[in-house]
Amino acid sequence: MQATGTQNRTNWAGRILFLLPVSLFFFFFFIYPFFFTLFTSFTSWRGIGAMKFNGIANYIKLASDPTFRKALGNNLIWALCQGFIQVPLACLVAIILVRKPKGWRFLRTAYYLPNVISTVALAMVWVAIYNVNGPLNAILGKLFGMESKNWLGNPDTAIFAVIFQTVIYIGYFMIVLLASAMNISRSLYEAAEIDGASTFQQELHITLPMLRGTLVTTMTLAMAYGMRHFESTFLMTGGGPAYATTTMGIDLYLKMDALRYSEASTAGVFLILLGTVVITLLRKLFGKSDPMSEMAQ
Amino acid sequence: MQSKRTPLWVVSNIMKWILLSTLLALAILPLVWLFISSLRTNLELQISPFGWPEKFQWVNYSKALHMANLPRLLLNSVIVAAMAVIVNTLVTSMAAFILSREHFKGRDVIYTILTAGVLVPVISFMVPYFSLITKTGLYNTLTALIFVYTAVNIPVSIFLVTAFMKSIPKELEEAAIIDGCGFFKRFSKIILPLSRSGLVTAATFCFIYSWNEFLMAMLLTSSVESRTIQLGIKFFSSQFITDYSSMYAAVIITIIPSVGGYIFLHDKIIGGLTAGGVKG
Repeated sequence: MQATGTQNRTNWAGRILFLLPVSLFFFFFFIYPFFFTLFTSFTSWRGIGAMKFNGIANYIKLASDPTFRKALGNNLIWALCQGFIQVPLACLVAIILVRKPKGWRFLRTAYYLPNVISTVALAMVWVAIYNVNGPLNAILGKLFGMESKNWLGNPDTAIFAVIFQTVIYIGYFMIVLLASAMNISRSLYEAAEIDGASTFQQELHITLPMLRGTLVTTMTLAMAYGMRHFESTFLMTGGGPAYATTTMGIDLYLKMDALRYSEASTAGVFLILLGTVVITLLRKLFGKSDPMSEMAQ
Repeated sequence: MQSKRTPLWVVSNIMKWILLSTLLALAILPLVWLFISSLRTNLELQISPFGWPEKFQWVNYSKALHMANLPRLLLNSVIVAAMAVIVNTLVTSMAAFILSREHFKGRDVIYTILTAGVLVPVISFMVPYFSLITKTGLYNTLTALIFVYTAVNIPVSIFLVTAFMKSIPKELEEAAIIDGCGFFKRFSKIILPLSRSGLVTAATFCFIYSWNEFLMAMLLTSSVESRTIQLGIKFFSSQFITDYSSMYAAVIITIIPSVGGYIFLHDKIIGGLTAGGVKG
């Protein structure tokens, strides 16, 4: 390009024209909402009428709001379960599949299948599975003679029932880790083989250290998803029973639904802070800044 | 690995396959169960959650289609997802062309800002999106959803398409320049056709997202004229209170496009994921 640049006059009009549509979308759906959220979090505003500046009153209110505190705690449980159960499980499977056992391609495809199905559909299936008269209770009753339980209706089990339904779907993290594991040079294993290292030793001393970077990225990402968790809980329990499963996202939604817009914005600021800034910091801390490892939820 | 059939090897091998098959069962069996249940009668479902239908109740599917305004909602979903895919692919391919094939100061900053959008939890934007869409008079329209879905997928698409366009050899473009191709021709005749595969990957992610999205659809629409299928199966389930098998049939209908697309395009999807990691 540089070499031929003389013949090819720089077309600034074309460049601007081509960047414009994306920039407009990005401005209206990322930049503007960000500053809007930040701004309204310092006002008292109920959706109509003028916004009145009221300093950090919303933040003080939110900090002592028992529902929001419960939600924050639940998000932390989500983040820990996703980061420290879902990702290690995905890593274990990736380590197995990288050795290409029979049917590994099929397994890789099958494990990702739930990720392309809508949360609504999956939530409806799992509500049915957890139903008092549903398949799970039928199986547990037959196998262990357990009494039927209302998994989603009981405050002690509800959050873990929803988390289980998320954590077992390892497809996304597994595929990322598997791709990374496949890039490890085979010669490392061959050398270890010659030295008489067992498969287990090889995984422990070669695969895991080589995966460290990807593992940190996927774990921070999984925790970020945990902090912004919304859909399957909203669909399966609505945040109940008695706020037992509520999350910051659900709290934000309910505040907005109650026309407490500026308080909803304050919750939104927290979500952005905890969901975005924290991952950025964690990534910096571990010195791994894969430019893209992300999200869409 | 080969000749070490020690007891430890046997045990760990068995555990390995137990793990793999348990996770497989958890991924597949709920859907199999849903499909079988959608073909049973409600009476059969009440007697036991398991069991083979005595007779396949395909009628559940026609009941589902008639009861919940499903055809209209499906049509809305098709329009929204198709338009979001078209607009998203068009605008991101244009931007990605500049970000991958043109050289100027500030280019990488623009790229970083656009792709950093993926770090932002979109659910925290419920209030501004609602306010923006209401103020522009787009509330309860398909256009609102098309705009939101197009926009939310921009960071992912920019990432995928820019990476793909960067991998196209310079020589092809240089040859075209010598042949007298200008800016627009380089885009439309050289880069765009060569990026087809990358565009399909980005489009697939955009489609799956748009087809499956729930929260924004709930937030920004209020009537059957502009609601999508996901809201249909969630909120219109009240119409099915006693008719679970038809409800399951409705759910099966809604997952056919994404599962079908996945079966055909799974190589592209997995390739897109490993290009850097994208949540589908």
